[in-house]
Order: sequence, then structure tokens, then C-alpha cells
Amino acid sequence: MSALLDAYKKMFLIRVAEEELAALFLKDKIMSFVHFYIGQEAVAVGVCDALQKDDKALGNHRSHGHYLAKGGDLKKMICEMLGKEEGSSHGKGGSMHMIDRSVNFVGSTPILGGIVPIACGTAFEQKYHNKNSITVAFLGDGAFEEGIVYETLNLAALFKLPLLLVVENNLFSTNSKLKDRRADTHHVEKIVTGFGVMYLKADGNDYQDVLGKAKKLIEGVRAGSPAVLECMTHRHLAHSGPVFEEEYREEDTAEHRSEKDSIKKMRQVVLRNGVSEKEIVGAENDTKKIVQDSIDFALHAPYPPKENLYTDLYAQ
Amino acid sequence: MPNNRILKYTEAIKEATDQMMENDRDIFVIGLGVTYRNGADGTTSGLNAKYPGRVLDVPNSEGGWTGMAVGAAINGLRPIVHHGRVEFSLLAADQIFTQAAKWNYMFGGVSNVPIVFRINVGRQWGNGPQHTQALYGLFGNALGLKVVIPSTPRMAKGLLVSALRDNNPVVILEPRWNFQVKQDVPTEVYGEPLGKARVATPGKDITVVAYGDGFVAAHEALSLVGESVSMELIDLVSLNPIDYETIIASVQKTGRLLCVDTTNEVFNVGSEIISKVAQQKSLRLLDAPISLACPNVPCPTSTALTEFYYPTKADIANAVLRAMHKPEITRALTFEELHLAPTITIP
Repeated sequence: MSALLDAYKKMFLIRVAEEELAALFLKDKIMSFVHFYIGQEAVAVGVCDALQKDDKALGNHRSHGHYLAKGGDLKKMICEMLGKEEGSSHGKGGSMHMIDRSVNFVGSTPILGGIVPIACGTAFEQKYHNKNSITVAFLGDGAFEEGIVYETLNLAALFKLPLLLVVENNLFSTNSKLKDRRADTHHVEKIVTGFGVMYLKADGNDYQDVLGKAKKLIEGVRAGSPAVLECMTHRHLAHSGPVFEEEYREEDTAEHRSEKDSIKKMRQVVLRNGVSEKEIVGAENDTKKIVQDSIDFALHAPYPPKENLYTDLYAQ
Repeated sequence: MPNNRILKYTEAIKEATDQMMENDRDIFVIGLGVTYRNGADGTTSGLNAKYPGRVLDVPNSEGGWTGMAVGAAINGLRPIVHHGRVEFSLLAADQIFTQAAKWNYMFGGVSNVPIVFRINVGRQWGNGPQHTQALYGLFGNALGLKVVIPSTPRMAKGLLVSALRDNNPVVILEPRWNFQVKQDVPTEVYGEPLGKARVATPGKDITVVAYGDGFVAAHEALSLVGESVSMELIDLVSLNPIDYETIIASVQKTGRLLCVDTTNEVFNVGSEIISKVAQQKSLRLLDAPISLACPNVPCPTSTALTEFYYPTKADIANAVLRAMHKPEITRALTFEELHLAPTITIP
């Protein structure tokens, strides 16, 4: 019971944080390229809830949700987006470069597919040192078209690495529809399993389905059998920035997305499992306050001094 | 201390790799064919048997396994990534230039990448336009990388040791043309500083800055120039950062500068150095700086054409002699001198 409520709270935190950040973006307070995760929360939380603490995760350009689901610090994240010194990368990275090594969120980068071999190398280190931990990389259906992803599938299978790739298929790469990018005979499962890599497909709007399938795959991954979990989901906002409705989406309408919404669905699940409406509202209000406090903190936090332009080019 | 132990350039690299792997279990080697008997031109031969599981032959997926090494480094391992031709490393350009090079900076110094890229570059007979590019300018421009060019066996060993001790991505651009060059190399483990140029031969009349195969040619030019001119030969060693302090101090003394490049004349290393020297108000130059470089065409394959492509030891000697208003040498170079990789022993 409380596990479901905890999961709902994590999903709700990502949703509210991003809604507030979208509002802030519209007030020109965020001078960082932002890709919102709203709609896809069940994927990040479902997968991360299937992980151990010492398991590692990496993400892409759209990684606020992955970072928070892995336990990344909210204040540091918002500071980073606002370009503040107390940001997780001290203002040098911005929204597309989430990192919190203290919770094993190893990093996120926006060049499509670029993080995939890096995640593979993260898993390589785990195997090299005989650790019992695994690595997860989050990527989108767009990145899944990059050649380096297929190179990595082969490497992970060849070296028997504990690597799980989570492909969040939200049907769009920027504004380009899946059906305009792939033949109608294209078959993700055949491609993945052709490399000797395990594959499952989940309803990315359904926390429990994601969690269950992630757990199932991770059992094998931990034993050195890499896997891909494809999660069908919806990106509620534009590719970049807080825009809500766009003509390119065709059948993927706001109404359809709202009906499928993972947060609404999860709220019902929590209610059905005996958590009271009052308890849920209480948790939601607590979460909203945490987000508001973190934004206030970030708005008042200092910017980095100009000397920092030259620091960190090299590590000591 | 000289101990009369003459090693080839490639043997010096192998010795550094072996000694460092023995000391640090987190060092591993990854690259195409590195497990072969004569792996990576002999620079990894025998290491696979000695260090099982730490020398990895890989599929033809340069982006994938270079990125895998970057990821391993981010998590504390110390990979040596080998690319036998610079062109193949470009298949991993995102991982080298955009991921590894930027990682420490873009994450505000909270996560570093201790990785060594050994990339073979440049001249080799018969290899043509797609196997001989000398992309020094490209690597010099990629901020976040430390980039060095070992010209001699002693530097090849010492720079690899230092690269493996450094906590940043270090690119070692190894000119294939230098692989047969020999030198007395100390047995012990020693580091040569990254980021420092080296006055190889002191002099007072003219400063010659060279690197890699150009350094070997310039070294051979010393005896052609003879006693009449005192030429100060600087081995550039570090491409990023360039050690302007050493170069400017030398030009301050000599008043004359010749830069030798074994890459095309456009956007080359010499133009960068000459530009910096030209901006020094305190420097009193006795003559305009000189650049010797390859023409602005790709390197062809036929020896009938490559004969006119790379600056030779005679070209360097004559540029020095002209600058000093001395008679030029007229001896024609032999086919071997023009077209075969040098096998000389450098003191």
C-alpha cells in the first residue's frame, strides 16, 4: 500500500515540478533549453523502483524525471536550470546535463544515442569489478534510430554486460512521427532479440506494468544478460519548451493524452488499494510545498562568479 | 640517465603500457586487433597473455567501444583506447570531442574522465588520402582534451605514463612515420610532463619548432645545416595546451622563427604559433616568421607525387640556411630518404 503511495508521490513530484518550471520558463526565468518530461512519469519511476540503490542510471536531453526518480536532489536540479552556482553542475550544464553521483545518477547528455555506449561502459566497470549492480540508460524512440545504439547492443551482448536500455517511445522525434521514420514492417523486438538481447514492451502510462516488466528483465540483466524495455508513452508538451498543442500530432490529441495520463491512472490505483482521498490530497499538498520551496530557494540562490567561466576545463 | 638500452618507438609504448598495467589493475587496453601477435603495430603484443581480460579486441564499431571506454573511465577505470588510423577515430567523434572532452566542464567538475586515446596519425607510404590525414588542428581545437605528440621513443614512454596518471582525457597523437625511430630509453617508470614543449637542441640564431615526423626531419636537418648556423630545435610535444612560454623565450633569444608542419598549410599548428608570436609586442623579430607545411591537397599515394608533399630534412635545412643568408645545400635526397620511414637512433 505505502509502496504505491510512495511511487505516486514520486510521479506527482516530477509532474508538479515540471508544471511549475514550465510556468517559470514562460516568465523568462529559465535561460536553459528545456525538454519537459510531463506524461512519461510512470516510466522513470517504474524503472527506478525496480532498481537497487547501487544500480546506476543515465539519461538524455529529457531527464528531469529520470534524475528525480533515481533520487536526485530537487533544489540542485532547479538551481542548475536557473544557471545558479548551487546547481548540480554549478550552472555549466543546465537542463540537459543532469547529474547526482550521490544517488548513482551518472549523467545525462543530449546528443542522441551518445549516452548509450557510456552506459554500456558503466556496466562494463560493474562487471570488471565483479559488482552485483546494473546500469540503466533512458533513451527515446528518436535516439533508437542512431547507429551507435545497435553497436552498443552487440557490445553489451558480446561482453555479457548488466545493461538495461529503456526506450521511451512517445511516438515523436521532435515533430517527426514514428510512421514517417520507419517502414511499416519495422520490428523493434526482432531487431533487439536479433542481437541476442532480451526485449519486453510495456505500457509506459502504467506504473505497475513498467515496474513488473522492468523487474522481470533486471533479473536477467543482473546475471549479465542485457535487455531492452520499450515503453509506449506520451509526451504531453512540445519537443522543447512548454507548448501544449501542436498541429503535427494528428491523432495524438490532448484529449487522448489526458485520458491515458499516467498520473490520473496511478491516482486511481492508489485509491483502489485503500489509500484515502484525504491521505492522497495531503501527500499532494506536501509535494507542492516542497516544489514551491525549492523554486523559491533557487530563485534567491546566487549566480556563479565570472571566474568560474575558466574553472573545470580539466580535473585536478 | 642513459643506460644504452636502445628501443624502437613502438617498443617504448609497449613497455610503458606493460609497466603501468602491472601497477594498476584498473588500466585496460581496447582497440581493433590489440590482441594480435603484433597487435597495434607491436605496441600491445604479448599483453593479452600477461593480463587476461584486460586487453580487448572489439567489433568494428568505433563509436560503440570508444563510448564504452568513456563510460568505464567515468566510473573509475583507466582505459587505453587505440585507434590505428586517425580516420577510424572520427567514427567515434561524438564520444571523443563532445562526450569525453566536455564531461568534466559541463558537469561543473563533479565527474571526470581519466581516459587515454592513442591515435596514430599522418604519413605512411602507400596509404593515400584516407589513411594519412594529420588532423592536428582538429584535436588542438577540441577543448577539454589534453593533446600530446611524442616525437621520440623516450617521449613516447614518458608521455604515456603521464597520460595514465592524469585524471583527464588525454589524446596521444602518434605519428606512424616515427614508429621505427630508436633511442636509449630508461628502464624505470618515468613521466614526461604533459603541456610542456622541450628544447631538444639549444642554439642562438634561429628557433625551429617541430613535432612528430617533422621533428625527426628537423633533427636530421641539424647535421645538414652544419656548424655555420646555431639552430635551436624545439619539440612542440604538447598541442593542447601549446607551451608558448618556451617558444617565446626561444624566439626572444634568436629573433627568428621557423615552424615545421607535416599537415596541410591551412589551419595548421605553425599558423597558431606564428599568430601568437606576432602578437607579442615585446618580441623584436629579425625577420618574418617562416612556415613549412604540406600543400593544401590530400596526401596522394604515388611516390611520384608524395615526393613533393612533405617537407624534407633538406627543405628544413635550406629554409634555415636561407634565413641566415647562407648557401643552400644541393645534394638530392635518395629514394629511401624521401619515401621510407626513418630508422635513425636519436641521442
